[in-house]
Amino acid sequence: MKPAPFEYHAPAGLEEAVGLLAELGDEAKALAGGQSLIPMLALRLAVFDHLVDLRRVAGLRGIERRDGSLWIGAGTTQAAIQRSAEVAEAVPLLARATPLIGHFQIRSRGTIGGSIAHADAAAEYPAVALALGAEFEAMSPRGGRTIPAAEFFTGMWTTALADDELLTGIRFPVRPARSGYAIEEFARRHGDFALAGAAVAVELDGPRIRRCGIGLFGLGPTALRAAAAEAELAGADPAGVDAEEVGRLAVSALESVPADLHGSAGYRKRVGAAMVARAWQRAVQEAGDD
Amino acid sequence: MSAPEAPETAGYAGTRVPRVEDARLLTGHGTYVDDVTRPGMLHACFVRSPLARAKILGIDTAGALALDGVHAVLVAEDLNPGVHEQWYTLIGRDSPDTPRPPLAEDEVRFVGDPVALVIADDRYIAEDAVEQVVVDYDPLPPVVDYVTARESGELVHAAYPGNLAGELAGPPLDQLAPAFDEAALVVRETIYQQAYAQVPIETRGLVTEWSAATGELTIWTATQSPHEVRLFCSRLLGLPEHRVRVMTRDTGGGFGQKVVPQREDMCIMLAALKVPGALKWIEDRQENLLSAGQSRHEHADARIAFDADGGILAAAIDYTQDVGAYPVPWPVGTAAAVGMFFPGPYRIPQATWSTACVFSNTTGRNAYRGPWQFESVARELLLDAGARRLGLDPAELRRRNLLRRDELPYFNPNGMPYDDITPLETFEQALQMLDYESFRKEQEQARAQGRFLGVGTCTYVEPTTAAMALHATEGATIRIEPSGKVNVYVSGGSAGNSIETTVVQLTADALGAAIEDVNTIQGDTAVTPFGGGTGGSRSGSMTAGAIADTAAVLRERITAIAAHRLEADAGDVELTDGWARVRGTPDSGVSFAEIANLAYFQPEALPPGVPAGLEASGRYRPEAPIIWANASHVCTCEVDVVTGKVTLLRYIVSEDCGPMINPNVVEGQIAGGTVQGIGGVLYEHLAYDEDGNPVTTTFMDYLLPTTTDVPDIEYGHIETHSPGPGGYKGVGEGGAIGAPPAVINAVADALAPFGVEITRLPLSPAAIVALVDEAQSRQTGESA
Repeated sequence: MKPAPFEYHAPAGLEEAVGLLAELGDEAKALAGGQSLIPMLALRLAVFDHLVDLRRVAGLRGIERRDGSLWIGAGTTQAAIQRSAEVAEAVPLLARATPLIGHFQIRSRGTIGGSIAHADAAAEYPAVALALGAEFEAMSPRGGRTIPAAEFFTGMWTTALADDELLTGIRFPVRPARSGYAIEEFARRHGDFALAGAAVAVELDGPRIRRCGIGLFGLGPTALRAAAAEAELAGADPAGVDAEEVGRLAVSALESVPADLHGSAGYRKRVGAAMVARAWQRAVQEAGDD
Repeated sequence: MSAPEAPETAGYAGTRVPRVEDARLLTGHGTYVDDVTRPGMLHACFVRSPLARAKILGIDTAGALALDGVHAVLVAEDLNPGVHEQWYTLIGRDSPDTPRPPLAEDEVRFVGDPVALVIADDRYIAEDAVEQVVVDYDPLPPVVDYVTARESGELVHAAYPGNLAGELAGPPLDQLAPAFDEAALVVRETIYQQAYAQVPIETRGLVTEWSAATGELTIWTATQSPHEVRLFCSRLLGLPEHRVRVMTRDTGGGFGQKVVPQREDMCIMLAALKVPGALKWIEDRQENLLSAGQSRHEHADARIAFDADGGILAAAIDYTQDVGAYPVPWPVGTAAAVGMFFPGPYRIPQATWSTACVFSNTTGRNAYRGPWQFESVARELLLDAGARRLGLDPAELRRRNLLRRDELPYFNPNGMPYDDITPLETFEQALQMLDYESFRKEQEQARAQGRFLGVGTCTYVEPTTAAMALHATEGATIRIEPSGKVNVYVSGGSAGNSIETTVVQLTADALGAAIEDVNTIQGDTAVTPFGGGTGGSRSGSMTAGAIADTAAVLRERITAIAAHRLEADAGDVELTDGWARVRGTPDSGVSFAEIANLAYFQPEALPPGVPAGLEASGRYRPEAPIIWANASHVCTCEVDVVTGKVTLLRYIVSEDCGPMINPNVVEGQIAGGTVQGIGGVLYEHLAYDEDGNPVTTTFMDYLLPTTTDVPDIEYGHIETHSPGPGGYKGVGEGGAIGAPPAVINAVADALAPFGVEITRLPLSPAAIVALVDEAQSRQTGESA
């Protein structure tokens, strides 16, 4: 359980970091907390000749309001997000999802950018980003661009980022009035990757639902949006919505649900539906009380 | 003011003395085997089979040897011929043991089977080199499923037809036919338990250092029995026993996995003589889950016959266990214990049993805390199932059948001579602690709200301190040093079971010494008396006997010297707190320091006939071959039938381990075993896919229960004396025996409204959801 030899780089600036990535190509991997990458290296499930550690890169950390959004630097640790009053106020769903990530030791080192760029299908942050319609800021030697969350997760552990492109920040919409949020997941033990989970954001407009975002995790090769359920809910009167039906609809179109020792695809879908229903109920209740 | 009466055995035993181990362990200053570093030490790493079964056609080591820092790549031809004799003292030379080559020779027999050994400057280089060793395998069809292995055309070991390692049986089942035929109810189920493992937090490992000049081999290792390691190694290498020194300071958990050296240990011992300096092998977690062994994997066709009132008429169990490819130690004898103890602490007139041990191409079976635990799993599940079918409360059914004190001594129908046990008393105490009747009401109310609560129990009797072979005796040496301070030498082998604290408490009492003046030295075969080490719930009672026998000699000597010095009658001298005083005259006394000064430096001043020095050795041999202990576990749970999640609500253990030497240690032992048992039912599963690939080789996949997954454990104590020293009984293993049936029965009770019967483990959330589904579709089918 020792990693194969690799060369360690610790650039101080973003330009230098993306330059290294461009130069080293697919022999390099960005290190952004290492809570997934390091175990994979130690088990020799992954081998890279170069690691580019982002810890010293300036400008990658921070939580601040920018243009009506809450901007969080990709290098911000999950622990910092968990402690942030700004996050709790402006992006409650993110605040509520954070304690579900691993254990506190993991959150002390794990970063939001690392979690999103690693794109584990069972991780919480990608589903939260989908449910909220967050936007990802990326930088490469060709310059910066913004990628909507809905276009970011392209497959198992794969994203829209190019080999020489780094995730630098995430912009979350600030909570509007009359909105509610909940995340529910089922894991074998606290801190384990979820077998199934759902992050739900509900915004009301008068008696109707203006927008409902549902992010699913642990239920496919990537975090997923429950698009059919979201469409069904938009414009509906929440009083007439059956939570269990929302759950069923949210998982009805799922394909490639993972199966392993901990549960079959069918089991995960059922639990996923229950998680959606529970999260929906709590979110819509909060929106109504707001 | 008169001096207080000195009790025969004074005050430390029975109290919550803080553990003497804690200061170093809790501040990170323990010495585990990986903390041992020697000058010029080399590091070993194994090349392991990626296939469950294959012929080895060739091994190309050239690429590995070409790496800088690689010293050697050893294969079976290099190491295996070095074996002189290979057998465990625990089992004996003449038992029909199963094969155990150090490195795989012609065939690999499980994924993880050690094939070659790389020795390098450090572990990183060794692992790089392992990747460069090219083994040419010719895959063979593996025997993965032990349940069908006896019918398989493929053999794990060619010399064992039907993949049968061995079988044993009691009287023929036919003899019980009348009882079963005429019973009001026979509950018969095939009950299956999944593989799980000991998972010590410190994995296996050893450091060897061979001195060719003196012919001495020194070994630092993580073991439960340093003296077994020394004996085994001396036989393995053909070295005289006293030329092998084994040292163990702290061992981070053993639970049976470290009772004897395994194949990797043999390889390092053999390689030790081939390298110029010290050699270290530290098993990593993946190796531990791959190759350190499995346990609990078994099933049985079990049946119990009841009369109409729930009285038990007869019990029978036909039991089969998976022993993997290389079981350690010989499994056939221990398997029989499942049959012998199946009747448990119940009044059962007739019983029989049969056992079979079956090879498979998986990691070898080894001992695990209460290796016969399945007897309680099978029995207690059937008792609850019987109660449900008879329409009796399961507590009431047990009350009618549990042995009462006035029936002791009692021979169970398989000839086990129970005595000094209190199964009914622990059962009633545990139910009272729960307030069983209130819980039943709460359960009923919860069901009305669509919530599913359950309660389960297990009452068992267990053999502790079995005094046979390696475990027949235990020795102690006590030295009152010239300053009056005390050193106690026992074999040790503590794997977290606080035997240092126990020894210090017992010695202070036995000598009348102040506890802060007593120190213990353990785990070094060069200086401690021979002893069996930790295993079989024996340390407390056996060590108490060794200390009592040895201390008695010194006590007599101290008393004689003090009486002579104080010009008193020896019968009036009492020893307390490191002083000898004359009863009734507390102001006149002589300290142990002064007595030691006389004994070592003024031997001419000693009374006639008293030898110089204050050092004695003794060896305790118990009269009772077994000390029986018993306990009742009761737990309550809530089951979420949507997700299948089980939440344990309360967990109660009432136990009778005799007088407690240290209640903290007793409760710690119970808690540790109980949590392992809970883990075994709800979380842990050492699983293989159908090709024999292990799928749980990290803690991401092999789930251990954590503090957030188990409730606080509540303890009740019933105290009856054993025939052993101090009346003490063993308590190390029981928690792991009693917990699984209690948890399983609690879940089954919660799900009873659905008509669920549990016969397969583990109870993962998915398995629970499937059970509820099956029961519901069965009921739908029946009503259609």
